[in-house]
Amino acid sequence: MSQLEDILPLSPLQQGLFFHALFDEAAPDVYTAQLVLELEGPLDVPALRNAVAALLRRHANLRASFRQRTNGEPVQLVHRRVEVPWREVATADAAGVAAEERARRFDLAAPPLMRFVLVRLAPGRHRLVFTNHHILLDGWSTPLLAAELFALYGGAEPPAAPPYKGYLAWLARQDHAAATAAWGRALHGIAGPTLVVPDLAARPPADPGRVRAHLSEDLTGRLTAVLRARSLTLNTVIQGAWALLLALLTGRDDVVFGGTVSGRPPDLPGVERMVGLFINTVPVRVRIDSAETLAGLLGRVQSEQSDLFAHHHLGLAEIQRLPGLGPLFDTMTVLENYPLDAAALDGAGAGSGAEGSLRLAGSSGTDATHYPLALAVVPGGRLSLRLDHRPDVIPRADAIRLLNRLTRLLKAVAADPDRPLARLDLLSADERAHVLHDWNDGTTPSPSSAVSLGSAPSPVSSATAPASSTPVTVPPAASVPPPAASVPPSVPPVPPPAPPVPPSAATIAEAFAEQVARTPDAEAVVSGATSLTYAELNARANLLAHRLIGLGVRAETPVAVLLERSADVVVATLAIAKAGGAYVPVHHGHPADRMSWVMADTGAPVLITDRDPGFGHAAEVIRLDGGAPDHPREEAEAGPVPRDNPRDDPRDVPRDDRRDDPRVRTHPDQLAYVIYTSGSTGRPKGVAVRHRDVLALASDRRWADGHRRLLMHSPHAFDASTYEIWVPLLNGGTVVVAPPGELDPATIGALVAGHRLTALFITTALFNLVAEEDPGAFAGLREVLTGGEAASPEAMRRVREACPDTVLGHVYGPTETTTYATYHRVSRVDSAVPPIGRAMDGMRAYVLDGLLRPVPPGAPGELYLAGSGLARGYRGRPGLTAERFVACPYGGRMYRTGDLVRWSAGGELEYLGRTDHQVKIRGFRIEPGEVEAVLSRHPEVTQVSVLARDNRLVAYTVGTAAPEELRRFAARALPEYMVPSSVVPLDALPLTPNGKVDRAALPEPDVAVSSRGPRTPAEELLCRLFAQVLGLEQVGVDDGFFDLGGDSISVIRLVSRARQEGVTITPREVFARQTVEALAGDGRPDARSGPEADAGGLEVLLPLRAGGSRPPLFCVHPGAGLGWPYSGLLRHLGPDQPLYTFQARALSEPGYTAPSIEAMALDYLDRLREVQPRGPYRLAGWSMGGLIAHAMGVELRARGEEVALLALLDAYPGEKIDSGGREELPALFAAAGYEGPEEIGKVMEFVHGQGGRYATLDEQTLLAVYRNYRNGVKISQEHVPRRFDGDVLLVIAAHGREADILTAADWKPYVTGTIEEHTVACDHEAMLNPEPIAEIAALLRKELT
Amino acid sequence: MSNPFENADGVYLALINDEGQYSLWPSWAEVPAGWTVAFGEDTRQACLDHIEANWTDMRPKSLIRAMGE
Repeated sequence: MSQLEDILPLSPLQQGLFFHALFDEAAPDVYTAQLVLELEGPLDVPALRNAVAALLRRHANLRASFRQRTNGEPVQLVHRRVEVPWREVATADAAGVAAEERARRFDLAAPPLMRFVLVRLAPGRHRLVFTNHHILLDGWSTPLLAAELFALYGGAEPPAAPPYKGYLAWLARQDHAAATAAWGRALHGIAGPTLVVPDLAARPPADPGRVRAHLSEDLTGRLTAVLRARSLTLNTVIQGAWALLLALLTGRDDVVFGGTVSGRPPDLPGVERMVGLFINTVPVRVRIDSAETLAGLLGRVQSEQSDLFAHHHLGLAEIQRLPGLGPLFDTMTVLENYPLDAAALDGAGAGSGAEGSLRLAGSSGTDATHYPLALAVVPGGRLSLRLDHRPDVIPRADAIRLLNRLTRLLKAVAADPDRPLARLDLLSADERAHVLHDWNDGTTPSPSSAVSLGSAPSPVSSATAPASSTPVTVPPAASVPPPAASVPPSVPPVPPPAPPVPPSAATIAEAFAEQVARTPDAEAVVSGATSLTYAELNARANLLAHRLIGLGVRAETPVAVLLERSADVVVATLAIAKAGGAYVPVHHGHPADRMSWVMADTGAPVLITDRDPGFGHAAEVIRLDGGAPDHPREEAEAGPVPRDNPRDDPRDVPRDDRRDDPRVRTHPDQLAYVIYTSGSTGRPKGVAVRHRDVLALASDRRWADGHRRLLMHSPHAFDASTYEIWVPLLNGGTVVVAPPGELDPATIGALVAGHRLTALFITTALFNLVAEEDPGAFAGLREVLTGGEAASPEAMRRVREACPDTVLGHVYGPTETTTYATYHRVSRVDSAVPPIGRAMDGMRAYVLDGLLRPVPPGAPGELYLAGSGLARGYRGRPGLTAERFVACPYGGRMYRTGDLVRWSAGGELEYLGRTDHQVKIRGFRIEPGEVEAVLSRHPEVTQVSVLARDNRLVAYTVGTAAPEELRRFAARALPEYMVPSSVVPLDALPLTPNGKVDRAALPEPDVAVSSRGPRTPAEELLCRLFAQVLGLEQVGVDDGFFDLGGDSISVIRLVSRARQEGVTITPREVFARQTVEALAGDGRPDARSGPEADAGGLEVLLPLRAGGSRPPLFCVHPGAGLGWPYSGLLRHLGPDQPLYTFQARALSEPGYTAPSIEAMALDYLDRLREVQPRGPYRLAGWSMGGLIAHAMGVELRARGEEVALLALLDAYPGEKIDSGGREELPALFAAAGYEGPEEIGKVMEFVHGQGGRYATLDEQTLLAVYRNYRNGVKISQEHVPRRFDGDVLLVIAAHGREADILTAADWKPYVTGTIEEHTVACDHEAMLNPEPIAEIAALLRKELT
Repeated sequence: MSNPFENADGVYLALINDEGQYSLWPSWAEVPAGWTVAFGEDTRQACLDHIEANWTDMRPKSLIRAMGE
């Protein structure tokens, strides 16, 4: 007779355990279960052993072993006989024996997979240690077996339970497809797993901790009564409560956790008495519906779960595979309602058998140990809660808090099951006090806080008196056009008497006036060599304010400001505030369309600027550049601000020379400014900020110490300018205006030292760059503020170490709450990202969940900000305002930031991310929705999705539009930082099961990285550095740095990283060589022999890109002689377009002076023909380069060659050249006070301080450049162009010189064919800057194809 | 986490305060002190439409009074 009685399949759960055992060799096996029975009284040991043997005889499945067939299928072999696993020991250490037994692994191939050890502690005192593998038995079966064991011991022969085999047969009859479909429906649309420890797999295993709680008998009774009345089960309330806790813990409103089910199908007769493995863990998914009550939620959970009841037999692994999201949960609940005598379970020891009392010491949890959190609930007279937790990730204190929260929840169910979820308070009294009050210690918005700016009595307090008592009053409203902000209200007129303006009211004008009275001679603004005292600044601002009033500026009238960084910005801003208007700073980097849009949106009747605006608008223009903007003091002395615009109304002339305070009555709730930020619906939104808000920021206690001499460098249209201007000016400090151009670490260091700065704010990106380049640059400052993007702990640590005496302030705040809302003083920097701190004075921070309830420390929630500094809203956008500035449950209004944060245990806010898609790129806040809206306006785009990857914006489009065309299209409507770096055309956008764009499934953009990998260690290093700096996976040796998205900041970063790795390259070399191959080589692969072979980027003919199948484009240098700026064309013209630039011979051959433009043209033609022996030729030239290119074209035609393209970029034929300050270079020399070669050191210092394209040159080259420029002006003026036989593409820089603007007519005498004229919205000098060059490239590209 | 103000299918109110300022508000949440229901319950868009149509002067009432002197 065979040893085997049966060969059976495995149930799905057994299969799961079997494979787990195959692959997990670790001891102890978490699936080893144990029950320890305490036996009191006389024991018949042989009878007990016989009873054990009888158990094995009666239950075939207890004799099973488990093996794999050769085809891999697992089977259970039921053996006819197995040895009775019985052992007897005499020891007092029963616990030690139990532990040993648990530690000893079962071999699944060696039956039986269970063991009994009888421990004799003393006569009449025994422990029976029953250990088994979970594959045989579940927690329900164990007590059944125990009961049967003692019935057998007592001589009874209980009726045989139905065999496990019957269950396996039942399983085979189940509709597998229906079960799969049911689970698929139940998990449909799930957004992701619910994990309390997302990186659990990466952590070493840890022993579980355990905390317990018991409900009182009274509460248990009341809870049971409520459940009974509502036909709810205990399991439902546990699952519902756990779901609510999990939602709080994870910030999700759709949570999943594991639920243990008995797995015993009711349609199987006698199933409740069966012994074996039935129990299963299935995902329990609970969606939180904000509108529901507690009972509503529980009822729904119960109904959803009962629909799944018939499908509990499906294995967890198979269920989890359905949504395809990996493991769905890492927490679980189990209701331990095992069929045991309640008294025995309760540990009461009230046994009634003749064998003496039997006590179950407890069963070890078999399922709980490998989850970070597992809740077990044991029913009884006092409901018992047990929470197993991983103490390494959920510390004991947190586990206790969790259990307390659960208890409060169960209390709430018992007390008021009909309470809406939104009113369910899950916080303890302490937690509530902390998050609402203690950690919002600046909770009292103090209307008098502005007064605290100074203690001296205000000399202009009459400004707040009724208008009739003030001699200088606003003219009758009827005589001026109504400002856009005060369109006639449709709300009914408010009945008189109107309350007077509060006496405590304070405005920018008043606060500034107080300061003028206090310290008239103190320095208020310093810009370059000029400095203004408070009295001087006041006089200048008054002058302009009167002029604004004369132009009709009234309360809240928007006044647009478009100014280069200068003292004028401060004057204009102050003047507008004095006139009662609201300043609207616009940024010169924005495209004309956007500027026009902002002008139209605000309806600003006046624009203050220092240039020809270059965009459409209907405003009166006040030009501040007619005088000498760099010498404001002289201008003030010289008299009125010059007026250029003939449309100025002559009637207001008498106001123009008034310097007295206009004393315009202004209410603190009036608007001070409007700053536009990106709007998700496709148009920017204007944040309308009040005087009160500005004063609240300026009077914050955090500035009291050290914020005296502040650097103003942020763009005026960026809200950091509020801090930079008003914190010093309203507190008696000094605004130090940074020179024009982008700041770099060296400039910052120079400014800090040179101007005795005490504080400054810089964006995260620039801060990180300084930390990397020159962390000591801040030394000398009392405080440096940084913020705006996720902070780098490493950068902060470097700065802290290099500048131990400088306070480092981490600030956070949306424009809507006036620059900064929270502040954290960074004292100690470890590896963790520093928090954003607590709300500043008068402001309150609330972290609320999806039900608008405050969350406890540690739980994620959305940040809402209330109190002082909260802007009025979005100008002219009531709907949008009502969506974001919402009613606050704690009084007033609150702004919904969209930022996800949590409270630390110590009460500091920690930034976690966004709740929407908003991104920050280089500190700029961008709504991808706005970019999507712009791109979708293109007729050939049918679908678009925009997101940020590695700090760049990527657009995914469906349609026929070419990527380059779309980038140009975007550049016409959006500021440069909002133009996608890459446009990826797709056949269709990937969708989630819910039909939304599956952003996670969008592919990485293909940045056209070549396949040529590095061949030498030097190339290897540089490829790695390129990739690091540009945030790419890999870079090929012939990929151009700028083609891959490099910019000036990344050049500096690259050079710095290379230096750290021991490789010296200069920014100049990066500009000149661009590829890894060229940078790593000893010589330049594209270099030709010649006198300038070693010129290192200064050679006469510099190949910017030698390769490519198209005919090459040759670009001729402007007056300074350098051709590098044309490198900006590379990425727009595409990798297939070869590009060369001619550079002045004077740069590579010291002492050489070009005799004429014609001579230069002939010189270059020789080199041209080396690269391209025959036409047709394609030539372009900017500025003086245009003259040379034209002369080359003339000569080529004379030689019978074809010229396919001659592009002149803002090039003026001879007589229109002037030498006065048109180019940056002479302006730089002039500004440095250059008088002769001996002063070159001074110039170098100055030029380096300025940054920009000349900052990378050495002295000799810089001098050569300068000499070349001077000579260029001379020979240009002498040059008389001949007639070019062909067509010309003329691109005109529209800004900067309306008086003698270039037109096609200027070139007409020198061209036989047609002149195609285009304008680009920039000034002459900025023509090859990133934005205009993109437009120019688009024009060239058309001609090159 | 879905924001209570961003549920396209949710039921909302338009609240108004003493200053004539409006707030979108989910209908399930308790109306905070100082605010009353101006419109709704209705869809999110209907509430926003009501606010767009009625909040024509975004200055707070006390400021309108003060500036009107």
